[in-house]
Amino acid sequence: MARLEARNVSKSYPGVLALDGVSIAFEPGEIHGVIGENGAGKSTLMKLLSGVERPTEGAILVEDSEVHWHGVRESIDAGVVMIHQELNLVGTLTVAENIALGREPRKGLALDHKSARETAKRLLTEVRADISPDTMLEDLSIAGQQLVEIAKALSYEAKVLIMDEPTAVLSERETTALLDLMERLKSRGTTVVFISHILEQLIQVCDRITVLRDGQFVATLPKGECDEATLAKLMVGRELADYYPTKTPSWKEEVVLDVQGLQVPGHTKDVNFQVRRGEIVGIAGLVGAGRTEAAEAIVGLRKSAGSISYEGKPVHFTSPRQALEAGIAYVSEDRKLLGLHLTRSVGENITLANLRAYGSLLLDRKKEQQHIEHWVKEIQIKVSSPDVDVQTLSGGNQQKVSLSKWLDTQPKLLVLDEPTRGVDVGTKSEIYYLVRKLAAEGMTFVVISSEMPELIGLCDRTVVLREGRTVGELTGEDMTEEKMMMLVAGVDA
Amino acid sequence: MKFGPFMQKWGVLAAFLVLLGLNIVMQPQVFLKPDVLRNLFSQNCGVGIIAVGMTLLIVSGGIDLSVGSLMALAGGVGIMVMNKSLEGHAPEMMAVWTGVGASILVSVAGGLVNGLLVTVGRIAPFVATLGGLLAYRSLTQAIADGSEIASKSTGGLESLAGAGLPLPFIMGSNHKPLMVQWIIFVFLLAVVAATFLLERTPFGRRLVAVGANEKAAVYAAVSVNAVKLGAYAIVGLCVGIASVIGAAKLNSISSSSMGAFYELDAIAAVVIGGTSLSGGRGRVWGTLIGVLLLGMISTMLVTANVSIYWQGVVKGVIILLAVLIQRGQKAA
Repeated sequence: MARLEARNVSKSYPGVLALDGVSIAFEPGEIHGVIGENGAGKSTLMKLLSGVERPTEGAILVEDSEVHWHGVRESIDAGVVMIHQELNLVGTLTVAENIALGREPRKGLALDHKSARETAKRLLTEVRADISPDTMLEDLSIAGQQLVEIAKALSYEAKVLIMDEPTAVLSERETTALLDLMERLKSRGTTVVFISHILEQLIQVCDRITVLRDGQFVATLPKGECDEATLAKLMVGRELADYYPTKTPSWKEEVVLDVQGLQVPGHTKDVNFQVRRGEIVGIAGLVGAGRTEAAEAIVGLRKSAGSISYEGKPVHFTSPRQALEAGIAYVSEDRKLLGLHLTRSVGENITLANLRAYGSLLLDRKKEQQHIEHWVKEIQIKVSSPDVDVQTLSGGNQQKVSLSKWLDTQPKLLVLDEPTRGVDVGTKSEIYYLVRKLAAEGMTFVVISSEMPELIGLCDRTVVLREGRTVGELTGEDMTEEKMMMLVAGVDA
Repeated sequence: MKFGPFMQKWGVLAAFLVLLGLNIVMQPQVFLKPDVLRNLFSQNCGVGIIAVGMTLLIVSGGIDLSVGSLMALAGGVGIMVMNKSLEGHAPEMMAVWTGVGASILVSVAGGLVNGLLVTVGRIAPFVATLGGLLAYRSLTQAIADGSEIASKSTGGLESLAGAGLPLPFIMGSNHKPLMVQWIIFVFLLAVVAATFLLERTPFGRRLVAVGANEKAAVYAAVSVNAVKLGAYAIVGLCVGIASVIGAAKLNSISSSSMGAFYELDAIAAVVIGGTSLSGGRGRVWGTLIGVLLLGMISTMLVTANVSIYWQGVVKGVIILLAVLIQRGQKAA
């Protein structure tokens, strides 16, 4: 008997059929992966399974009886709990208060703080989180917050735990801990639904993996039959032989950017690297190694000490505007908060950093429109019209908008921070090809990434940071995951 | 278009037209007179101009509570400068325009002070301008010793508010061509200019970007502080114009009542007009309707002989209704 089942469900929104007759069953005590490119219908399916929305056709069943949930409350009561990508916690409350939120234990009229703390403590031990129930939530790392969210889910006595891209924001060590936790939950009989873009992790822990494509069910594969190539092929519906572009070295000897002894107070101590014109240089390191902070310091978003020279001259930018005028742009890793204006249109986002090009007093709207259309076409942003809000786009298309915003400024050096985070496989490959093509045309790239295969597949050279210092550099044949891992983690060969 | 999104977009206009229609049916002897409609504009153009500036500021994520008090101060200083000038036997109109310049100088400076407190001083807009609300009012009262600052102009200042353009074919109740005051044109010009600024200029785009997501604007190389400063300065300019209109209408400035509660009326008009109080989304034409709607409610209640003390209740309910109607469906 399936614990949770979608039977022939379809969901249509005005003008779109987001899900088309999908059937999928989640058994007790299994880790079930769900994959698909952005727009494949994963999120829609999860909304139906967690009671956020109701199917247009078909049925959701819990232990073989049909349910008609009106809202998340009812699905939680039935034991189905979803942990969203954007965590739903209150930063200014303590961990214990967050876990008890909405169902605070009481003593008469007053809150029973003691019992809330004890419950929190027990649940945190269960997820093996070394977190005090009295910590303010906002003082925790993202990984810590996620553990609190999971502890909270356990407090509902969840029978099915749906996790949407839980590892996207975690470092490797934190990811390993989370995958372990999934295994433990499974052994207690909990069903874990694991949505992720990272095939490697899915293959590692999942008992079965279901693939969706264009709103339709493609296949459910048991553990033995899952390998990256098969899954990727099923997701994209074609072969992915040339996932990364061929590395045709296009760099010249001229050093464009030379960073020496860069110190960002509290984050980096000694970052050194050079980038040559037309080169794609990767920056590897764990979360907390200071990669983002170093990049932000270079473009004037953070205060720093040390020397930076650009095109042979020493520079010290104090605002992104100055950096941009010199031709350096930074594409943030945090697309939703820092990289885009989600509530504004695709067009407005694309031209925001380059408004000066469209007039100082008056906007040349015709020229602006031409540029917007150019980018939508050039890098294939899938959108019905450039006037729709960016928040309605899939992750991959949002990232393309974010890229266009900076490409429109015609930078000479583009710093990409996690350029493919939360982006589907097909779009990832498109982004790699775009970067390589632009490099061949003379643009220089610094690519910060937590995905080693990406750095190896895309970059000409990779600089490794550890604890705020440059600890090594890998080129050509030396760029292997093994060597990189050793440098990243600080293990001697 | 479905009812919800339709109301979100056009609700305030629909509400205004419905109320106007009701008024025409219920009190045709009042609301069919062109004078009454004209007065709706002329009586509200001071607060209206401030509301227009406030719209731009609120779109950028700011707010200014000091406008009413600053208006009194700027008006007072303007009259004092004009009086000094008249005492020095300057020609009447030259003195008047010198006073106008002084008012605008004071109010723009006040706006810039607010802007600097918010940007360089990093004080939350609400708090920063709350200081101005108290300080400017008190300063004006101190200067005027609690009473009013009277103008020594003999008709010159008043002509700024009184003079206008007679409409050739529309007769007023005095059977002469209806006179439309220049200040009404100034108000409409402000509406058009602000609309243009918001929708057709890089500055307008940046206002929206800063209001929608300030951090993302910083990352997009927008000079956020300059944009905010600009928005406060624009509000200052609007306050200056409104102060001149206020002074010209009465030929004096009451230090305690000139501009009192204008900050709330202006913010109410902006919100009724559909501009998001949290920034990043706004429209100037909505504010225009908001101003007219609030003005019409006052007129309506007065002509219907409803006690003036009930006005607040009716306005309060209207504001809440407007916000409820226009509340967006949350994106799923």
